[in-house]
Amino acid sequence: MTPAGDPAVDRGRVALITGASGGIGQATAVRFAAAGYRVLVHYRSNRAAAEAIAAEIGGTAFGCDVADPDAVARMIRVAEDELGPIDVAVCNAGFYEERPLAEVDDALWDRTLRVILGGCFHVARAVIPGMRDRGHGSIVAIASELALVGGVNVAPYVAAKAAVIGFARSLAREVAPSIRVNVVAPGAVDTPLLPDRDRGPGYTSTVPLGRIGRPAEIAEAILHVAEAPWTTGAVYSPNGGVVIQ
Amino acid sequence: MDHRRRLFAERRGRDPVSATSPGVPSLDDRPVALVTGSGGGLGRALVEAFDAAGWAVAGATHRGGRYAADLADPSAPGDLVTRVTAAFGRLDVVVANHAAMTMNPVDLHPVDDWWRIVETNLSGSFRLARAAAPHLARTRGAIVFMSSEWGVTGWPDASAYAASKAGLIGLTKALARELAPDVRVNAVAPGVIDTPQLQVDADAAGVSLDEIRRRYAAAAPLGRIADPSEIAASVVFLASSDGGYYTGQVLQPNGGTTTA
Repeated sequence: MTPAGDPAVDRGRVALITGASGGIGQATAVRFAAAGYRVLVHYRSNRAAAEAIAAEIGGTAFGCDVADPDAVARMIRVAEDELGPIDVAVCNAGFYEERPLAEVDDALWDRTLRVILGGCFHVARAVIPGMRDRGHGSIVAIASELALVGGVNVAPYVAAKAAVIGFARSLAREVAPSIRVNVVAPGAVDTPLLPDRDRGPGYTSTVPLGRIGRPAEIAEAILHVAEAPWTTGAVYSPNGGVVIQ
Repeated sequence: MDHRRRLFAERRGRDPVSATSPGVPSLDDRPVALVTGSGGGLGRALVEAFDAAGWAVAGATHRGGRYAADLADPSAPGDLVTRVTAAFGRLDVVVANHAAMTMNPVDLHPVDDWWRIVETNLSGSFRLARAAAPHLARTRGAIVFMSSEWGVTGWPDASAYAASKAGLIGLTKALARELAPDVRVNAVAPGVIDTPQLQVDADAAGVSLDEIRRRYAAAAPLGRIADPSEIAASVVFLASSDGGYYTGQVLQPNGGTTTA
């Protein structure tokens, strides 16, 4: 039996990164590969990008919609057959859309919950039995600074990301001590999801550190909490000092 | 209407009593609160507390009655708000108090049931707020979402329930910013309350109702679980003009179990 969460044990094994065809997910895939992991580069629709990233880092690309629990379970079965058991799962898949409350239809609300919260639930329920049997594993759920402080015209996104935090905290208690579960809640990061408004001085002048984040900085935080052996149920928010509480 | 409410109304230069939907007479002078989940232990205490504070209360429950509503049904919240505003001519406060809960380890929880809990508690409350927001804006009203201590701390085998209740805290913060200054939006995240709902916890732990009460009481610094009326008092406070400078906040009446 190996000690739970020992980096020496977790390192060099297998990591699943969902939503890895761009942005924070892509940077995380690259960072985990550099740390010695074999990486499952998950994508939903951008297969060409995911395969290019996988080729670059010696990983393997797998496609599915994380909102579909059966598709996620199938993907994880196939991936584990091919690459071996998943030691670290980073639940990162998501999307961001701004809409005033009155214009949020049920389709947007439901899709946001199913992708952002479902992307964590469906992955967790598929990887946890194996992790528990093997006596170790680590799950990192990606939330958002907005889940901590709210925002205007983003109710579905904020609710789903806040739900991810409640989900992860429950899971952390439930699957300890063999499996650790943590949350990274990034602020505004330079990815395709970020509105142009937040790239200019109107926003960056309000950030104590004076700029938006880089995907590689978030990837570094994700790798750290994934491997931190005495950390579970934590919410780590790299955000340039926007949220100090 | 209490003194401060009247003062606040005068300061705003509008009378909340006459600020009804155009052409629809109010049945009486009282402000109107819609409380979902009104058939449960906390729900009944909420109805009593609002009534005692001088409000007209529309209590909605899936068990039937004039405002019967199954909040798991996506069309129910909009329909409920339409019925209540038609009957009362105005809406001042919505308390989203309905909830579903089952407990199961995450990998053993049937997927459809897991989602039913999230959709009833979180999506049902969202749809209620979306339907009520235009009416509440006219009365400068308020929304109170019933979250839970477990939505703050998480709880083993309660990942669906805790996710839904944490999601309500996020929704509180988002809608508080978006609907300000017209509508205040807050949440209450109670600790363990002495209601029949505790049977779910007792069953999950495989112990008697008395034993689960004893365990929860022992875990709280105040040495007891809450009476429903104590939680209802927090809700009425946030809903009324006494809580008029609160928005985006989470009150945590929990006997001291969480101090973070």
